[in-house]
Amino acid sequence: MTSNPMHRRTVLGGAAALAAGFALAGCGDSGDSDGDAPRERKKGQKINLTFWSWVPGIDKPVDLWNRQNPEVQVKVEKVSAVNGEQYAKMHAAIKAGNPPDLGQIEFPVIPSFLLDNGLLDLAPLGAARHKDKFFGWQWQQSVFGKGIYAVPQASGPMGLFIRQDLFDKWGVQVPGTWDDYEAAARAIRKKGAWIETFAPTNGNRFSGLAWQAGAKWYGTHGDTWIVNIDDEPTRKVADYWESLVKQKLVKTIPDRQNAWYKDLQTGAIPAWVGASWGDALLVGNAPGTKGKWRAAPLPQWKAGGKVFANWGGSTTAVFAKASYPKDALDFAVWLNTDPRSIALLIDGGYGFPSAKKGYATTDLDVDKDFFGGQAYSKIFADAGAHVDTSWQWGPGVDTLYQRLGDAFTDALADGSSFRSVLKKVQGQTLADLKGKGLKVESGG
Amino acid sequence: MTRPPVRYRIITASLLTVAAIYFLVPVYWLIVSATKNSADLFGTFGFWFSEHPHPIDHLVDVLTYDHGIYARWFANSVLYAGIGAVCATLLSGAAGYALAKFPFRGREAIFNAVLAGVLIPGTALALPLYFLFSSMGLSNTYWAVLIPSVVSPFGVYLCRIYAAAAVPDSLLEAARIDGAGEARIFGGLGLRLMTPALVTVFLFQFVHIWNNYFLPLVMLSDSDLYPIQLGLTSWTGYADRQPVLYQYTVGGAFLSVVPLMVLMTVLQRYWRTGLTEGSVKS
Amino acid sequence: MSRDTLSRAEPVTPKQRAPQRRQRRASRTEARNRRAAAGFVLPFLALFGLCFIAPIVYAVHQSLYKTERTGPLGLGGREHEAFAGLANYAHALSDDRFLTGFGRVLLFGAVQIPLMIVLATTLALLLESAGARGITFFRSAFFLPYGVPGVIASILWGFLYVPGISPLVKIADSIGWDVDFLSRGTVLWSIANIVTWQFTGYNMLVLIAQLKAVPGELYEAARIDGATAWQVARHIKLPLIRPALVLTCVFSIIGTLQLFAEPMVLRPLASSIDSGFTPNLHAYSEAFVGNNQHVAAAEAVLLALVACVLSFGFLRLVGGRAKERG
Repeated sequence: MTSNPMHRRTVLGGAAALAAGFALAGCGDSGDSDGDAPRERKKGQKINLTFWSWVPGIDKPVDLWNRQNPEVQVKVEKVSAVNGEQYAKMHAAIKAGNPPDLGQIEFPVIPSFLLDNGLLDLAPLGAARHKDKFFGWQWQQSVFGKGIYAVPQASGPMGLFIRQDLFDKWGVQVPGTWDDYEAAARAIRKKGAWIETFAPTNGNRFSGLAWQAGAKWYGTHGDTWIVNIDDEPTRKVADYWESLVKQKLVKTIPDRQNAWYKDLQTGAIPAWVGASWGDALLVGNAPGTKGKWRAAPLPQWKAGGKVFANWGGSTTAVFAKASYPKDALDFAVWLNTDPRSIALLIDGGYGFPSAKKGYATTDLDVDKDFFGGQAYSKIFADAGAHVDTSWQWGPGVDTLYQRLGDAFTDALADGSSFRSVLKKVQGQTLADLKGKGLKVESGG
Repeated sequence: MTRPPVRYRIITASLLTVAAIYFLVPVYWLIVSATKNSADLFGTFGFWFSEHPHPIDHLVDVLTYDHGIYARWFANSVLYAGIGAVCATLLSGAAGYALAKFPFRGREAIFNAVLAGVLIPGTALALPLYFLFSSMGLSNTYWAVLIPSVVSPFGVYLCRIYAAAAVPDSLLEAARIDGAGEARIFGGLGLRLMTPALVTVFLFQFVHIWNNYFLPLVMLSDSDLYPIQLGLTSWTGYADRQPVLYQYTVGGAFLSVVPLMVLMTVLQRYWRTGLTEGSVKS
Repeated sequence: MSRDTLSRAEPVTPKQRAPQRRQRRASRTEARNRRAAAGFVLPFLALFGLCFIAPIVYAVHQSLYKTERTGPLGLGGREHEAFAGLANYAHALSDDRFLTGFGRVLLFGAVQIPLMIVLATTLALLLESAGARGITFFRSAFFLPYGVPGVIASILWGFLYVPGISPLVKIADSIGWDVDFLSRGTVLWSIANIVTWQFTGYNMLVLIAQLKAVPGELYEAARIDGATAWQVARHIKLPLIRPALVLTCVFSIIGTLQLFAEPMVLRPLASSIDSGFTPNLHAYSEAFVGNNQHVAAAEAVLLALVACVLSFGFLRLVGGRAKERG
């Protein structure tokens, strides 16, 4: 950190240095929308809003809203989320000048959309008054300078899923630290199974693991972006997993795909470093293992530590060209805070609510039986409360994930070190951001 | 005709059988798998039925899921491919006929441009086309897929070559002397003489549109407008959250493949008659 | 739509009984030709211009510009397009992954196309040989996969490739053969298999059609001369289906360079497929994941150029003897 020019407070949002810049952002937005300036709905006027999402079951809360608000009808257009297509579509639509009114956008990609002037600053609409309804750090994920660019929906605090029955049978302890985890991996390997897989293409999880270790991939200094993927904490994580891979203690197949599900079903893989939303995945894809799973806290780097990270999580954002921004904001807030809406979202299996109220942690234990009656959501609620909240995302995260995936794939094939991956991706990311016309510096 | 020796016939038959197995095995797998649920799809041997096959139930599930969206995708595919292919055939027929039968300045230049069009990968055009259509307000509409689908440079190429050979000038001249207008000559005489080529163009374009993935992928965001392929891949995209979708994807693939396979087999004859024209004369 | 234009093409005054009729005939034919031809060609040409020429012009234009951003951190400032010359091309051509992707599809084409064409030719010749029985069944069986769209074929074969689920892998395992269809070394050929599976039957049909066009007396004469089936195939049939072979090759070359759906669908299953596995996938990633339309446009232009050069080159190469257009 000391050699890092990035000023920690700057990252935390609300910094004065940034404020001026983002005030400009607001001007830019309104200046752009010449013909279709944001309109105020007249009383009694009927309007339609379009909402792009890919979340299964999102239509249920939207239907409820439509029944309750006959004047503001929201139409869900389901966009495909294969390989990040949904964002591709949104970027293209912004560029083409015809984005929808609302969109489902995950935390990491918000800055990419700001780069396009794609999202509407909700602050002038008084969004700040909703701040207290949400967990602070999640609200903060879409706050840049004075601008508020989205309403948080859900997060994904990380944890460890394990097959308790197999761990018991093999006499393996639930690992509390990463050292324990390696020991467990070794013990499990002796039994012919693999503790799990290091999926080279999953940049998302890798960033979560780096986050837990204390990495700071993005930051800002004045009007310059600081990129620091090759930092010490990330190297620690890379070394750790490289060692597991080299010792052949983990598989290297892609996760959340057919072959992986099959391994979960058969017990060939009895554990998963996942996130809160993973319950639905396990229940759906390994129904035969009902009652045998448990959730445990994410292993720690220091015994007795309580440092967690986030994997996934998303927001409801209003696009810059939205025709009725005020109504769009009202809908976004309702969707993510109204108890009935939250209940329907939980039913749909989507993540850990960003709202503080409107549900009980136990409501989230929808699959209690699958976890042998364990109140597993408490584990994730606890993790969520101890997420390092200073982590910040920067522009071009989708590309970053792709770069990481490509480089890890190469490294697995030619046996080069994971540190070389970080070095390579750090260089590529600097070039990518420069290519986008940004001022950028290496934080290393 | 003398019959070839038995040895030779056995070799031929065995080679053909091996090839048939290769081509049919995945189809067989699809049929078997369409009767399975997601768990059995992963859990049981792929080339044999599970203990409780539910072919009908599963296909009904596919058709009713999400308010019957699958039927809508199917209808969209039929619409895109059907209307697109009909229009493409008429346009190509007219253009090919004119390029073959009317000497005018710039004719070769046009034909060469069309030929170059045959050689340009369609996927290279899709992205710029998207921005173009967006600026015209056409993206994310039926038109976005339909309009590019009616343009078939290969169809024009085929029709020109075929018309040059199959439509005799003397016949046209005779019709003109009888006082028939050009449109009527084309509609009555030209189209009739060109029928084999036109059928081929229609089939070729139908399959081309039906199989096209990239263009709708780029153009459409509203799943109500999706053709089947896009719909099915979007299902696989949600499948990790809703594993039942694996089963629906396989069932949906099965349902979509069946009619096209039947069509292919039944219409084979037409493929054969028209297809080679392009190469015979080139 | 076409009805309108057709009626416009119709001459207004069909009959004129004037003495000068002969004289004016030539120039009238000329004018009439031009009008009629315009009526027939214009509808197609207009749409061709919209869907082929305009996007190409647009892509070339895009490829020469870059986005510049002002404003702190680049967020919120106005972005504008600035002329970049050939910088985007230089960027694309210095990108290892893009070039590797090109090399990969060229290798793919060099192996898969001949293999598929040989297979298609063999099947066509076998089906057309006198010894074959059940021709209709076999022909239908071979042609059937053409009715399966690339995406669905890939989903399908994906299930047959993934270890743990694939019955093929299971069978191989049981006879002690350790196969991995999705490893770095094999995945390209697994994709080649999908393409071959889909298109062999189609190419075979084209070739059969050409074989049918050969007059039967030719075969009879050869047989009377005592030629064996192999000799007939080698010396009579093969040279005669040459034009059809050329056509199928050209289409295969274009198809190969467009390779997209198969790797796209298999990608989540196989970490050995990276974002630049094929040039098309690379351009798609640049445009849609990286949001770099300008570089993507340059890559699309390069791709189209290579496709044209290869196809024309191939035509020229084999067209030495046969007269050809274009």
